[in-house]
Amino acid sequence: MKVSNLKLTRRQLVIAAAAGSAALKASAQAEPQTAAPAATDKVRQNAETLAKFAIPISTEPAFQFKA
Amino acid sequence: MTDDVFFAPISDLNARLKKREFSSVELVKAFGERLEKLGPRYNALALPLTKIALSGAKAVDGDLKRERYRGPLQGIPFGAKDLLSFAGHPTTWGAKPYATQILPDTATVLTKLDDVGSLLLGKLSMIELAGGPGYRLASASLQGPGLNPWDLTRWAGGSSSGPASAVAAGLVPFALGSETSGSIITPAAFCGVTGLRPTYGLVSRFGAMPLSWTLDKIGPICRTAEDCGLVLHVISGGDSNDPGSAGKGFYYAPEFAKKPAEMKVGFAAVDSEWADPETRPALEAAMKVLRDTGANLVEVKLPDYPWGALIGTVIGAEAASVFESLITSEQVHELADPSQIENLKAALAITSTQYLKAMRIRALIKKSFRELFDQVDLLVAPSRYAVAPKVSEPLDAAGPNRPQPATPGMRSLIPAANLAGLPGISFPCGFASGLPVGLQLVGPPFRENPLLALASEFQRRTDWHKRRPPA
Repeated sequence: MKVSNLKLTRRQLVIAAAAGSAALKASAQAEPQTAAPAATDKVRQNAETLAKFAIPISTEPAFQFKA
Repeated sequence: MTDDVFFAPISDLNARLKKREFSSVELVKAFGERLEKLGPRYNALALPLTKIALSGAKAVDGDLKRERYRGPLQGIPFGAKDLLSFAGHPTTWGAKPYATQILPDTATVLTKLDDVGSLLLGKLSMIELAGGPGYRLASASLQGPGLNPWDLTRWAGGSSSGPASAVAAGLVPFALGSETSGSIITPAAFCGVTGLRPTYGLVSRFGAMPLSWTLDKIGPICRTAEDCGLVLHVISGGDSNDPGSAGKGFYYAPEFAKKPAEMKVGFAAVDSEWADPETRPALEAAMKVLRDTGANLVEVKLPDYPWGALIGTVIGAEAASVFESLITSEQVHELADPSQIENLKAALAITSTQYLKAMRIRALIKKSFRELFDQVDLLVAPSRYAVAPKVSEPLDAAGPNRPQPATPGMRSLIPAANLAGLPGISFPCGFASGLPVGLQLVGPPFRENPLLALASEFQRRTDWHKRRPPA
């Protein structure tokens, strides 16, 4: 792949700037007060679900995961 | 150049290049203008690279003139999800904290495509951080919500939103996306294009944003299954730069795969009850087409595991480790979706025993799938059970209140197949309310050819993949 220098075109800069404002707009719509407890709850529920799932003691984790 | 060019399959474009119907420079120029003009309409374009592609196209035209052929992707422009690094240019991962990031290396998949004369025309938009931590807003992207070319009020799907919408709208002949759990299959289904998730380890992830080292895959999003095969042929292969690389290549040869009439395909009849009623006619007609190919459809049960808890734990733990420095800094609050922020923070609390339990269960899952694939060659299911949702609504908005079917069917095939590292393909199989409906096939590891063979046979018998969104 030919790697060019780091110069950005004006169009690229405009796209980057527009991108920033899109993110801010999205943040404004958000509901952060409900997101935190929901996230913590999800981790707790996942942990409880996995804890209940019995597996043979000899089962090794899929380290070096290969299909 | 007529509009047909923008919706032509790769092999057709390459044949026309060889016949000098048009030059690669002309092709790149035409697609580049279209991508830069229409890409922003769908919030699909992250970074135009037409100028660089044009200089590559000149070299390709020289090669074609001298009959130095480098395969069917020679001279074909493409787009890449903005999680793939292109050295010296911004690679934003769709996220504000990385908006100015410039990485030193070019992703192996981009180098491989460059080697055969394929031309990177632009980086395409994505859900921030590939959505891994868990997002609930379609707008969770630097470019804003990915808009569906079939209906601009609908979502393009995620996290490979830009690659899918750009292919659907004829802005690039093909694109590269990535999937950790559903990020190729979902947008391909919502946008009415064909997306292939390769077996874990078949395609190098070097130069791609890490989200979950044991789940991430790079794959093509194209117009046809055949195009997916041509692209996979080029981008697959061992890579010492990728610790997860299986060290295997892929030779696209669907003609040597079992014929559809020799295939046993597993399905769950209850899936039609899970499917949104408006999508059922398309899905039922698609199953009939599959039967007409001669494939033997047999009812099977997806192994029973706590899929949601497993995928959440593995992605959560690995993403929390990958993004630890972001999570523990103030910059995490620059992410667009509060759910992403809070899910990332909460994932720091996943313990090593929880993660290891999930990874131990994955070992059992692989065994269960090996047993299932002793009974059938492939699995088939709806890619998604409803059409693309509205961008104005949260993605976790409750659907219509319908009685729940008694058994889960293949509802969890996406996380299940991803946890087992299995290849899958989604292809369009009809429409509901003017929006595409997709069907997915899943196969055993490294058996992409049978998937592609059956999907291609489906596409020979139907024309859903040839439909074009409104101009």
